[in-house]
Amino acid sequence: MPVINLWAKDGYLSTPDGNSIYFWGFAKSESDPAQLPGPYIIAKQGETVTVNLYNTLSEPVSITFPGQPGVTAGGQPVRPQYSDGKLLSFVNHAEPGGMMSYNFTPTNPGTFIYESATNPHKQVPMGLYGGLVIRPADFKPEIKEYKTAYGAGTNTEFDREYLLITGEIDPYLHRAVENGKPYLVSKYLPRYWTLNGRCAPDTMLMDRVDYLPHQPYGSMVMGLPGEKILMRYVGAGIENHPLHPHGAHTRVVAVDGRLLRNGSIDLSYKRFTVLVGAGRTCDQIYQWHGLGYTPQNPIPTTLPNLRNMGVGDAGWTMWSGSPYLGVKGDIPVGVVSYNEFGEYYFMLHSHEELQITNWGEFPGGMMTMVAIYPSLSPDVGLL
Amino acid sequence: MATVKKRFGATDGWVNMPDGTSHYIFGFVDITGVPENQIFQYRGKATLLAPLLEVYEGDEVYLTLTNLGFPGRPDLDDTHTIHWHGFPNQIPLWDGVPETSLSVPVGRDFTYYYKPLDPGTYIYHCHFEPVEHIQMGMVGPLTVHPQLEKDLGRKFAYNDENTAFDLEALIFLTELDPKPHHLVASVQAFDWTEYRPQYWLISGRSYPDTVKPANDPSLPQQPFSALIEAYEGEKVLLRFVNIGFQQHCIQVLGIPLKVVGLDARLLRGYNGEDISYGRDVIYIAAGQTVDAIFTAPRAGIYPLYNRNHNKNTIAGTAFGGMVTEIRVLSKP
Ligand SMILES: [Cu+2]
Ligand SMILES: [Cu+2]
Repeated sequence: MPVINLWAKDGYLSTPDGNSIYFWGFAKSESDPAQLPGPYIIAKQGETVTVNLYNTLSEPVSITFPGQPGVTAGGQPVRPQYSDGKLLSFVNHAEPGGMMSYNFTPTNPGTFIYESATNPHKQVPMGLYGGLVIRPADFKPEIKEYKTAYGAGTNTEFDREYLLITGEIDPYLHRAVENGKPYLVSKYLPRYWTLNGRCAPDTMLMDRVDYLPHQPYGSMVMGLPGEKILMRYVGAGIENHPLHPHGAHTRVVAVDGRLLRNGSIDLSYKRFTVLVGAGRTCDQIYQWHGLGYTPQNPIPTTLPNLRNMGVGDAGWTMWSGSPYLGVKGDIPVGVVSYNEFGEYYFMLHSHEELQITNWGEFPGGMMTMVAIYPSLSPDVGLL
Repeated sequence: MATVKKRFGATDGWVNMPDGTSHYIFGFVDITGVPENQIFQYRGKATLLAPLLEVYEGDEVYLTLTNLGFPGRPDLDDTHTIHWHGFPNQIPLWDGVPETSLSVPVGRDFTYYYKPLDPGTYIYHCHFEPVEHIQMGMVGPLTVHPQLEKDLGRKFAYNDENTAFDLEALIFLTELDPKPHHLVASVQAFDWTEYRPQYWLISGRSYPDTVKPANDPSLPQQPFSALIEAYEGEKVLLRFVNIGFQQHCIQVLGIPLKVVGLDARLLRGYNGEDISYGRDVIYIAAGQTVDAIFTAPRAGIYPLYNRNHNKNTIAGTAFGGMVTEIRVLSKP
């Protein structure tokens, strides 16, 4: 029976344009930093989960598990909490310096969110949220038919998987909370948009880079041609975000942790833009097969002299310089290429394009890449 | 299978709103077949929407982009691209994302190649600094017709006889915030997080201009009409496109719609199940397309508008904006 400890703490987020933003987040232990999003929780269908919340913040904090039945707090069914007759928390909370223990037994596999239910209009945008993945009871990652999102026989097999959690940051809210000043939530106006707590281009960095101690999760999606790449979207902000991956449609197989299936009827569908609603989760399979071009089966157009083209205008490119997967061409002198092995990069981003800026400056925000490699270790794309 | 050769120029221009205001745009203009020594006459002649790219499944499409520069901003040497939004299995070279392949500088050409295999409604747009270049107007409609049309000699949205129609219409949704257009024209920066649209457009026009005919002389750079005229009993395919930065919800008063396709995909399940559905309001997020079919009811005028009624306005005041009309006529 998994026991997860989460410490509600404060810290500072880093944005690529050099801002440092006060936030509240969950940490793995008393000595670990608060992180955005909170630690991923991976549990199994039918197995009881205990989450112990330790609150080091100056106001009550709680955790809710939308989509999970029969959640208890301190051994009793959760219930709203009031202070002087006014609603404070949707579920039982931990007082400052206190602790609350939650229990639930997931009945269904899927992707879920966990988040604060105390003053959520403030605490969730401040960063008190995370992703929760429930494995199907028959999950066996070493056997293909049993490495699925929703159980064997549900057409949800996958080769690699990624959690992508959307969020927004209004720096004025964060500053007001830091300084103990009032803030009108009706004035909420995000200036940053995040995937897994980071703004582009930081989204494309590896997990756990030293200089982002509070933002441990990258969002680079990596796979091989033809592989089934499971993308688990979680809408942790208070706004909706239309996420659009280049290179392929995604097949939406589940929404809110519910398999899109009615008896024997498969109701999954393909889209090139999926709206990640606030509080919503979407599980999707992305598959890129390519068009079959290789140096032996060349493209039907000629590659122009790259000195006459715009390549890496900003001083960098992610392109290999070649039309072919696994081949590196000549990148113009003076341009840094981050391309390693001739892999292909496909942008994945919000199509509300102002959200792919950092405070109005492109590139930034809710954007990352899907990288299709010519070969890749099986250890990439594990949760 | 045909070979389709097209050439689009990237340049700038101006569009008109019903309140008498004009707004600076970036965009594309069709220069297919124009002799090389005459292409510069098309500088400043960008249109909103960009020209319709209409092809058949299996066609080989060679689309050349020529950067004609901005006569209204000669200091600005932005490059451009064409991104076919939603093209499955694309390779980066033809995906039009400058950060992952290449873009086209002023005075240069680049040819994109596509062999579309999946019919449906798509979008193309420039992907260079997309927040600016999309809002400035570098967006166009793109439709792929199914093989079934050639096989049976009738019109279909997809390779499925349940998607038969008699005529099609484009409901191409964008917003226009005059502030960045003005700032770009006058060489100033805009904070995109302050985006506040004032004009709500269908196929590049605000009502009542939406119901003016195509190529109306009062709208020289907004050639697309959004007026829909059908005879009673005719089947009309509406191709909804949202390439604005906001979600929209479009309602047709008095006519139920059958949604048959989303994002250029026939609404069929994993095992071929029919998962099409009926709607009175089409919710559509930024970067999505929806194909819906209706049967024209008895003769009359049926308004099509945004159920976010605040978007059926011109600069926040007069009735107009994201509105058009479906005029159903008695059979002759
Ligand atoms: Cu894009
Ligand atoms: Cu796009």
